[in-house]
Amino acid sequence: MSNLSTMQKGKIASVLVIGGGIGGVQAALDLAESGYKVYLLDQRPAIGGTMAQLDKTFPTNDCSMCILAPKLVDAGRHQNIEIITMADVDSIEGEPGMFKVRVKKNPRFVDESKCTGCGSCWNNCPVRNMVQPDEKETVKPELEEKDLEKITELMGDNKDGRGTLVPLLQDINTEYGYLPQNIIRYVSTDLDIPLSQIYNIATFYKGFSLTPRGRYIISVCLGTACHVRGAPKILEALERDLGIKVGQTTSDLNFTLEAVRCVGCCGLAPVVTIGDDLYGKVTQVKIQKTIEKYKGREYAKAKT
Amino acid sequence: MAEYRMHLMLCAGTGCVSNRSLKIEESLEKELKKHKLEEEILIVRTGCNGFCAQGPIMVAHPGEIFYQMLTQKDIPHLVEEHFLKGRPVKELMYTPPEEKAPVPKMGDIGFFREQRLIALRNRGLIDPERIEEYIARGGYTGLAKALTSMRPDEIIKEIKDSGLRGRGGAGFPTGRKWEFTAKAEGEEKYIICNADEGDPGAFMDRSIVESDPHSVLEGMTIGARAIGAHHAYIYIRTEYPIAVERMRKAINQAKEYGLLGEDILGTGFRFDVTVHRGAGAFVCGEETSLIASLEGRSPEPRIRPPFPAQSGVWGMPTNINNVETWANVPEIINRGAGWYSQLGTDTSKGTKVFSLVGKVKNTGLIEVPMGITLRKIIYDIGGGILEDKKFKAIQTGGPSGGCIPEELLDLPIDYERLTEAGSIMGSGGMIVMDEGTCMVDVARYFVDFLRGESCGKCTSCREGLESMYQILTEICEGKGKESDVELLEELCAAIADGSMCALGGTASNPVLSTIRYFRNEYQSHIRDQECPAGVCRELIHYLIDREKCTGCLLCVKNCPSDAITGERKEPVNLNQEKCIKCGICFEVCKFKAVEVK
Ligand SMILES: Cc1cc2nc3c(=O)[nH]c(=O)nc-3n(C[C@H](O)[C@H](O)[C@H](O)COP(=O)(O)O)c2cc1C
Ligand code: FES
Repeated sequence: MSNLSTMQKGKIASVLVIGGGIGGVQAALDLAESGYKVYLLDQRPAIGGTMAQLDKTFPTNDCSMCILAPKLVDAGRHQNIEIITMADVDSIEGEPGMFKVRVKKNPRFVDESKCTGCGSCWNNCPVRNMVQPDEKETVKPELEEKDLEKITELMGDNKDGRGTLVPLLQDINTEYGYLPQNIIRYVSTDLDIPLSQIYNIATFYKGFSLTPRGRYIISVCLGTACHVRGAPKILEALERDLGIKVGQTTSDLNFTLEAVRCVGCCGLAPVVTIGDDLYGKVTQVKIQKTIEKYKGREYAKAKT
Repeated sequence: MAEYRMHLMLCAGTGCVSNRSLKIEESLEKELKKHKLEEEILIVRTGCNGFCAQGPIMVAHPGEIFYQMLTQKDIPHLVEEHFLKGRPVKELMYTPPEEKAPVPKMGDIGFFREQRLIALRNRGLIDPERIEEYIARGGYTGLAKALTSMRPDEIIKEIKDSGLRGRGGAGFPTGRKWEFTAKAEGEEKYIICNADEGDPGAFMDRSIVESDPHSVLEGMTIGARAIGAHHAYIYIRTEYPIAVERMRKAINQAKEYGLLGEDILGTGFRFDVTVHRGAGAFVCGEETSLIASLEGRSPEPRIRPPFPAQSGVWGMPTNINNVETWANVPEIINRGAGWYSQLGTDTSKGTKVFSLVGKVKNTGLIEVPMGITLRKIIYDIGGGILEDKKFKAIQTGGPSGGCIPEELLDLPIDYERLTEAGSIMGSGGMIVMDEGTCMVDVARYFVDFLRGESCGKCTSCREGLESMYQILTEICEGKGKESDVELLEELCAAIADGSMCALGGTASNPVLSTIRYFRNEYQSHIRDQECPAGVCRELIHYLIDREKCTGCLLCVKNCPSDAITGERKEPVNLNQEKCIKCGICFEVCKFKAVEVK
C-alpha cells in the first residue's frame, strides 16, 4: 500500500478479486460500491465458497445462509461486478496501480446466458443415469486364521443387541493395542455398519489408536492436580529422554508416550503410568531412572 | 465366620496399590504365618481411605491404630511388636506436620476428624469385593424398607424432603428429577449412573465405586423402584479398570443374593444393571452426550428439551444421576429425610465429597458437611500449604469452575455461594494453588483442556476456545497486548451464549474468575513481561546463588543440555544460552541454590 500515490495518479479504476468466498464477495461489494469496476474470480462453478455449508456463524450464532444469500444476490446484480467462474489465474505482471492478469477460463459447456436452469440435462445425463455398482464394501477382507479366531470370539462377546460397537472396538483395541485396518473393515462388513461410522467413533474417543503402539504405554497425567505440581516438565523430560514427542512411538516399538487427563490418583500427583504400573510423586530425575529399568527389561527379554 | 482377635484393614485403593500395598500384604501374610498368628489376625483389603498421600495405609482394629507409609522392611518389626506383644509402633504412625508426637488413632487425626461420612460411610471398613461385609454394616436395609413398606411416591417424597441435590455438577434436586421421570410416559424406563468422572483432578466417583460398589447399586435399585424402571446402565470411564471390575463383581454377587435380577427380595420387583465402559472423552459426562455414547452413536450433546427424563436412552424416559448422588440414597431412606436435612445450609443439604489435591500437605478424599468454610478444609483437614508457602487460590468445579482467592476463604460452601464467587460446586475437585502457581497458566491450562475436549458441534465453542488459547499463550510468552484482557472477556461472553451444552456454557469460568481476582497477574505478564509465580518459561530464567552453592555437582550431572559447568566444591556456572529451562537443577538442588527469576 506504500504505492498508494501511484494508484491515485492511477490509470485504471478496476480491481480483480481472486476467490469468491464470503471474504471475496464482501470485498467486491465494498469496492463496487465505491465506484470501482470489479472482476470477481472463482475456480468453482459458482461463487459463495464454503460458508453456505456452515450452520452458524461465530460469535453471534446467526444463520450463515441468511447472511450470505443477500450478498450473493447483490454481487450477481451489481452493475460494477463481473463474475468470472470456473477460472484460474495464469499469471500476474506489473505493479500496484497497473497489473496485467491472464485468466484461464475453463469450459462449462453450457451457455450461461441462455440456460434457464430447467434441469432437463441433469435428468437425462447418461453418466448420471448409468447403473453404478454398489459402493458399499461387500467383499469381506481376508483375515489370517488366528485373527479370524480372535475377532469371532470378541464379536461373540459383544453380540447382545444394541449399542455394542464401542465395547467391541475397545476389546479389539485392548487385544491388538490399536485398531488394525483390515479388522475394522471386517467388522464393518460383518456387522453392516458403514466404515465411516466406525472411523467417526474411533477418532472421537481418545481411547482408540489407529496406528500400532509400543509394548509399554507411558501415560503422563496432565490433570489439574498433576499440572500444578509440575507434570508438564515431567512430560518434557520424557520427550527428551525417549527422543519422541507425545503421541509417538519409539522406532523400536518399545514405548509409546501419551498424555492423559487424570488417572484418578490425584493425591499422588504428579503421576505417570507405565504399562500397568503406576508411579506417584515422580520428579524429572526419578522418572528417567524408572524408564531405564523398562529399557533394561526389554533388553533382557530379547536376549533370552 | 471364624472369630479373629484383630483385623488389619489394609488399603487396596488405587493410590495405595501403586505404593505397593499388595506387596505389604504378602509380607504381612508371611510374617503372620511365621508367628502362627494367621488364625488370630485377619487381613482385610479395603477400598480407598482417602488419605492417599500417606499410602500405603493400614488400620489395625481394635484400637483404630493408623499406620502409614509402610514398606516391606517395616513389617517384621510391626508384627512382632504390635500384633504379638501388643505394643503399637510409634514410628509408623502419622505425625502431623507441625507436631512432634504421633497420633495413633485414626479418628484423632486432623484429616479425618472434621469429616462426616455418609456417601463414604463404609470406606476403609469393608472389603468391597464381599457383599457380606456390606450387609453386615447395615447394607441393603434401605432397599428392604423401600420395597416392602414404602410406595414409590413415598420414596420420591422422602428424597425430595431430604433436600438431596445432584452431585454431578449442576445440583438439580434429585427428588424432583425422579418425579419427572416417574410421571413421564414410556413403555420402558431407564436409569443411568454417571461414573464418567472426566473432571481432571477429581476422583470421588472412582473411590466410591471401588470402595463401596454396593451402596451405588442399592441406591439405584431404590431409585428404580420409585421411578418404575427395570433396567440400568452404569457408565464408567475406561481409565478406571478396577472400578469396572469391582462393579461387575458386585452386580453378580447382588444377583446371587437375590438383591438384583428377577423378584428382588421376594417382592416381585425386577431390576437389572449393565456396566458400560466409556472410551475417553470428557464430553461424555454430559448427560445427552453420554446417552448418545451408550447407544453407540458419536457422543455429541444435543439441545434440551427434551430432557432425558422425557426422552433418553432409546428414546425412553431416563433418569441419570451421579455416583455420589446414588450412594447417598440408601442412607436417606434408612435414616429418614429429617436426619439428612439437618446437615448443611439452607439450600444445600447433607455432605459433599471433595478431592482435596494440589499444593496442600494432606492430599486425598474428604467428605464434609455443606456449609463448612474453605479455610477449615485447607488448614484443618488439609494441614496447610505444602512447604508452608503462601496460599494463592483454590480451584473448584474442574474445567467448568473457577479460582477462589484468599479473601473468600471464609466462604461457607454450598451450591449458590460458590456460583456467586464465580466458580461452581461441580463434581467436587478442589485444587489448592500456592504462590508458585501462575494464574494465567492455569487459565491457559483449562482452556487447552476444553479446546481438546470440545466435540466441535458448536462453532463458538470450537473456534472460540481456540482463539482464547492463542491469546492466553501469547500472554504467557510475554507477547500479550493491553487489549487482550478485554478481548478475552468478550470472547468468554460469546462462547457462553453460543454453545449448546454446559461444556461451552461454563468454559469461561476459569478465565473470567482468574481475570476477576488476579487481573494484576495478567498485567505483569503483559506490561512487565514478568511471571510473578515463575512458571511461564519464556519469562523466567534460572540463576545459581553462588553463596548457597556448595559445588556438589549434582546439577551438573543431571543437566540434560550441559548448560551447567563447574569444579567440585566451587560454585557452578550456568550458561543462559544453553539453558533449556527444564528446571532439573532446581529440582535436584538440596541447598536451594537455584533460583527462578
Ligand atoms: C461437559 C460436562 C461434563 C460432565 N461430566 C460429568 C461427570 O464426569 N460426572 C457426572 O456425574 N456428571 C457430569 N456432568 C453432569 C451431567 O450432565 C449430569 O448433570 C449429571 O450426571 C446429573 O446427575 P446429578 O443430578 O446426580 O448431578 C457433566 C456435564 C457437562 C456439561
Ligand atoms: S490430576 Fe493427575 S491423577 Fe488426577
